Amino acid sequence: MSYMNRVVAFVAVLTLTATVAYSQDRSETPASPPTADPVVGGQLFASTCGFCHQDGGRVAGRGPKLAGTDRPDAYILNRIRTGKEGAMPAFGRAFSEAQLRSLVAYIRSLKDEGR
Amino acid sequence: MMTFRTRVYVAVFAVVAMGTGACSMPASTTDMTKTSAPIADAGGNDWTTYHGTYQSWHYSPLTQINTDNVKRLRVAWVHHPGKSTRGLQSMPLVSNGVLYYTGSYSRVWALEAGTGKPLWSYFPKLNDDLVAAQTHSPYTRGIALGQGKVFVGTVDGRLIAIDQKTGQPVWDTKLVNSEKLTVGFTGAPLLVKDKVIIGSQGGEWPGRGPIFGVDAASGKKLWEFLTVAGTEDSKKTWGNESWRTGGGGGWMAGGYDAETNTVWWGTGNPAPLYDWSGFEWKTSGPRPGDNLFTTSVIALDPDTGALKFYHQELPHDAWDFDSAVGEFVMIDRDGRKLVVHPNKGGHVFVYDRKDASIVNVWQLAQNINFVKGVDPKTGALIGRRDLPLGKHTNLCPAIAGGMSWNSGAYSPKTGLYYKIGQEWCMDLEVIKTTPILEPQAQLDIGANFTLRNPEGGKAHGHLSGRDPVTGQKKWEVQFPEPPLASLLATGGNLVFVPDSRGWLRAYNAETGQELWSHNNGIGHNGGIISYAANGKQYIAVATGWGSLVGDEFGGLFGEPFKSMAKDAGALVVFTLE
Repeated sequence: MSYMNRVVAFVAVLTLTATVAYSQDRSETPASPPTADPVVGGQLFASTCGFCHQDGGRVAGRGPKLAGTDRPDAYILNRIRTGKEGAMPAFGRAFSEAQLRSLVAYIRSLKDEGR
Repeated sequence: MMTFRTRVYVAVFAVVAMGTGACSMPASTTDMTKTSAPIADAGGNDWTTYHGTYQSWHYSPLTQINTDNVKRLRVAWVHHPGKSTRGLQSMPLVSNGVLYYTGSYSRVWALEAGTGKPLWSYFPKLNDDLVAAQTHSPYTRGIALGQGKVFVGTVDGRLIAIDQKTGQPVWDTKLVNSEKLTVGFTGAPLLVKDKVIIGSQGGEWPGRGPIFGVDAASGKKLWEFLTVAGTEDSKKTWGNESWRTGGGGGWMAGGYDAETNTVWWGTGNPAPLYDWSGFEWKTSGPRPGDNLFTTSVIALDPDTGALKFYHQELPHDAWDFDSAVGEFVMIDRDGRKLVVHPNKGGHVFVYDRKDASIVNVWQLAQNINFVKGVDPKTGALIGRRDLPLGKHTNLCPAIAGGMSWNSGAYSPKTGLYYKIGQEWCMDLEVIKTTPILEPQAQLDIGANFTLRNPEGGKAHGHLSGRDPVTGQKKWEVQFPEPPLASLLATGGNLVFVPDSRGWLRAYNAETGQELWSHNNGIGHNGGIISYAANGKQYIAVATGWGSLVGDEFGGLFGEPFKSMAKDAGALVVFTLE
């Protein structure tokens, strides 16, 4: 098992969510979209995304504000996977499909407070 | 036999004695048959190592450009490297009439120092997928020169030697498994005798941040020192074997004390960056304990990589105020051999070079509340502000630090140390994230945060000229935003400050009076040097914007930073008209 998969598996145990979906090899394609958990997404966000998207994505900082974004899910997912040269790293190799969708669920859960 | 310090003073006096109109110059601007001038000989016409000399003064003894005539400083030539993603952040080097510098993506150029005429370039082939996944990338902050070679680290974890005359690669050594850890090399290497020393990125990346010693002739790795638990004893400072993912690193070039054969290097912060254990950090949380040798200055034997001694500036750094930033300014005072080192948290540590014992600690940034103070006799932190789970307001300085990674300057003529201070704070929420138990390929932060103005004031920066040992301030200049580039002091009694809005400014080193300025059209976030070629003194500065700290400016200060290009930058070189 790769290091990354071990981390992914650990996330699954901790969050008591769909264990099979989280611990599977990410090269496998799930039959249906994996569960998106905004709480898991929030933890991941604070680990890796909050460094640039400030106040948890609620205000603009190094990266743009995400709360209230009008970008569709597919756009956000693609941006997280492939990044933007010189501005945002590509996380496609780092996160599982379930983690990616949990990040989107977290972003969608943010209230736009007009800041 | 003269000591290297004595030789420097002789060089300084020799140039000064020539008067303001004459410098000692090389016979040819393109004499590439010569090898580099010894780094220890410093000054004169060349700038042969990242910090200017092993003494890390960022000082040129040249006097042709001085307080009387600096108003006649004009652009001599410009070189556009192209594809300057995140701006040019590097320190150029000059040897025997040839200027060498590196841009984003570890690309290296050799140019005629007097004209900018390209002589050769070297673009290493990089792992593009890896570079796309990196956060602190693709900038490269400098190179090393010596033994007829140019040494450059790559963002995908290699150290490459290039033939100084031809630009052809001589050897290419993979040192870091960047495909697994994401991090590589962005800092300049340091040549010490026959070895090239380079530190990897680290900090909030869960690895062990090694520093390497490599044979300059063959490229063979000779030693590796792990800045996270590099000794058996130090593993005890990482509870629950958290050293496996501890961060660390040594991502800026250090200094070298030739008299004791000691390399001084600063190390990065531990991972995760913020620690939800708060006050319980000694016994619980993701990394219980002091976390040696993160946020420390370490002294290594360059021949073996063995640790001689160290001082941990912030035990269990809970704020990302690491020691990898800045320079190791080596000076003598009252018979003591000292080294002055700025810490990102905003304090300046003064050490005895024989054993890193504390001589003094003084405060440069004004807005500091992550500690109540630092004991100037012992270096111990007084009144730590640890950050338990939840929200915290007005933590000062902000994550960007009271000082950033670029270097200050020291002038032996004025006896003053010139350094930028940064005044800003932040609100944050510490979050218990999923523990990371193995090295992995992304950041490990542990908080959400927002930069803000200090209470009762506005975020800003300042340049001051101070006694490097006591911190006593002689003069200070305020800036609306912190300048982020390195500084340069010269024998012409000048201090050059490349600022964030794009102005290169020259100040009287004695008084702080502004004497000259020029708009380079984009912010500065890299190096600046002075050198001589064909009888003329030059000032070379890297331009370009877009570092991780600079990225904060749009949100905090608005324009011109919100719309400032982050994919541009050039090397701009000045001389007297």
